[in-house]
Amino acid sequence: MQQTSIIRAAIVVAIAAVMEVVLGPYLELGWLSPKFVILGVVFAVPALRDLQAVLLGFFAGVLFDSLSGGLFGVGSLGGLVAATLAVRANALRRKGAERFVMAQVVAASVAVYDLINLTATGLAGLQTPPFGEFLIGGVLPDALLNGLLAYLIGGWLLKISRPKTRSWDTPR
Amino acid sequence: MGRRRSSSAASGLAALFILTIVSLALFTVYVREGDCEGDSGCGPLHTVQLGASEVLRPVRGLTSFAAQPFQGTRERVENAFSGDRQEMQNELVEAREIAAESSRLQRENAELRELVDGTRGGYEYAPLARIVAPVGEQFTQRVVINIGTEDGVRPQQPVVVGNNTVVGRTTSQVSRNTAEVMLVTDQNFSAGVNIVPPAEFDPGSGGVDSAATEEEVVYGEGLLRTNIEGTFGVEYVDLSARAEQGDFVITSGRSGDRELLFPPGLLVGTVESASSQDIDQYKKIVVSPSANPNNVEEVRVITGW
Repeated sequence: MQQTSIIRAAIVVAIAAVMEVVLGPYLELGWLSPKFVILGVVFAVPALRDLQAVLLGFFAGVLFDSLSGGLFGVGSLGGLVAATLAVRANALRRKGAERFVMAQVVAASVAVYDLINLTATGLAGLQTPPFGEFLIGGVLPDALLNGLLAYLIGGWLLKISRPKTRSWDTPR
Repeated sequence: MGRRRSSSAASGLAALFILTIVSLALFTVYVREGDCEGDSGCGPLHTVQLGASEVLRPVRGLTSFAAQPFQGTRERVENAFSGDRQEMQNELVEAREIAAESSRLQRENAELRELVDGTRGGYEYAPLARIVAPVGEQFTQRVVINIGTEDGVRPQQPVVVGNNTVVGRTTSQVSRNTAEVMLVTDQNFSAGVNIVPPAEFDPGSGGVDSAATEEEVVYGEGLLRTNIEGTFGVEYVDLSARAEQGDFVITSGRSGDRELLFPPGLLVGTVESASSQDIDQYKKIVVSPSANPNNVEEVRVITGW
C-alpha cells in the first residue's frame, strides 16, 4: 500500500513538473504564474511519511530544474519547503478543513519559492527587480493566486493523490 | 506508535537538512560550471538541461500550436490589468498604419532579398528558424527556436528578423535542434550601440554615411539595456553627444579595442525620447525596439561575420 502511495505521488509530481514547464509560459501574467509543481507536491505528500515526503519534494524540484532550464537548485529547495510545510500541516489538520489548510500551505510555499528564486538570481549575477516592488507586485499576488487555485481544485487533487483504502487494510 | 512517529519526524528533519545542503551545492555547481561557451564545454547540469530541452521539443511544439488561438486573449487580459487601455488603443491604430506600410516594404524587401539571398555581404546565417515556445521564468524574456548546433548555431550569436533587425541573442542553452534566445527586452540583455540619424543609415549594408552630415557631430554611443526601472534605453550617453527622437539605434560592434557580441550596423530600435537634467551625468535615452519580440514568429541567427 505504501509503495502504491509513493508511486502515485511520484506520477502526480512528474506530471505537474511537465505541465509547469510546457503550459506555464502561456499562463504567465507578469511575475504571476500557476506553480503546478508546488501544487502537486503539497497535495501528493500528505499520504507519505516524513522522509518519503521530503525526498519526493526534492526530486520533484530537481525534475523541474532539469526541464525548465532555470537555475538548478531553486526548484529543489522550493520542493523541499513545500513538502516540509505540507507534512507539518497534514499533522495538524482538522477534518473538513483540509482544502483550506492545504491552500494556505501552497500560498506560503509559493511565496518562499519566489523569494528563493529572487535570491538565487541575484547570487548568480543576473539582473533582478527591486525587492520591494517584487514583494508587493510579485510574491504576494502570486501566493494569493496559487492559494486560490489550490483551494478551488484541492478537493479533486486530494482525491487522486490518496490511495483508496479497503476494509481489510484498516490498521488495528 | 509514538516512538515510530517521532523517529519518522527525526529522519524527515535529517533528510531536509541534508537535501538543503545538496540543493545549495547543486546551485553552486550550476553557476560555476562551464555553460557551453567556447572551449569550456558543457557542465553536467547544463548537459542535463539541454537533453531535457531536446526531449520536450515535440511537446512544446504541439502546445505552441494549440495555444495560438488564445495568444490574443492573453494580451487583452494583460492590457486590462495594466490600466493602459486607451494608450494601447491609440498605439494599435498607429501600429495598423505602420503595419500597412511595413507590408509594402516587406514585399519590396522580399524582392530585394531574392536578389541577394536575403543576406548581408560577408555574413553567414543559419537556416530560417521558427519560435517554438516561450520560456516561462519570472525574470527573463526568452524563447526557444527550432534550430541548434546541427545548423551551426552556437551560444552568444545575434538573432535578427527582416533586414537585420536585432531581436536578441542565443544563450548558452543550445542543443542539437533547439536554441534558447534572450530577447532584447530581457533585463540581462545588453549591447554596445551607436545613435545615428535615419538619413545617414543604410539598413541594407549597415553602413553610416558620415558624408551626409553638415558639420562635425559626435554621435551618441552607449550601452543598450533594460534598466532596473524596466525602461529600455541607452545608458552612458555623453551629454554633449547627438541623440534626437527618431534617431536609429544600431549596434557598434566594438568597445575600444574589444570586439563585442554583435557585428556593427544591426538596427535595434529608434530613439523614443532623449532628455537630460542639469544634475545628470549622462543623457536619458528611451528606445523603442524596431521589432516587437512578442510578435516575431520566424528569426535568423547570424553565425558568422
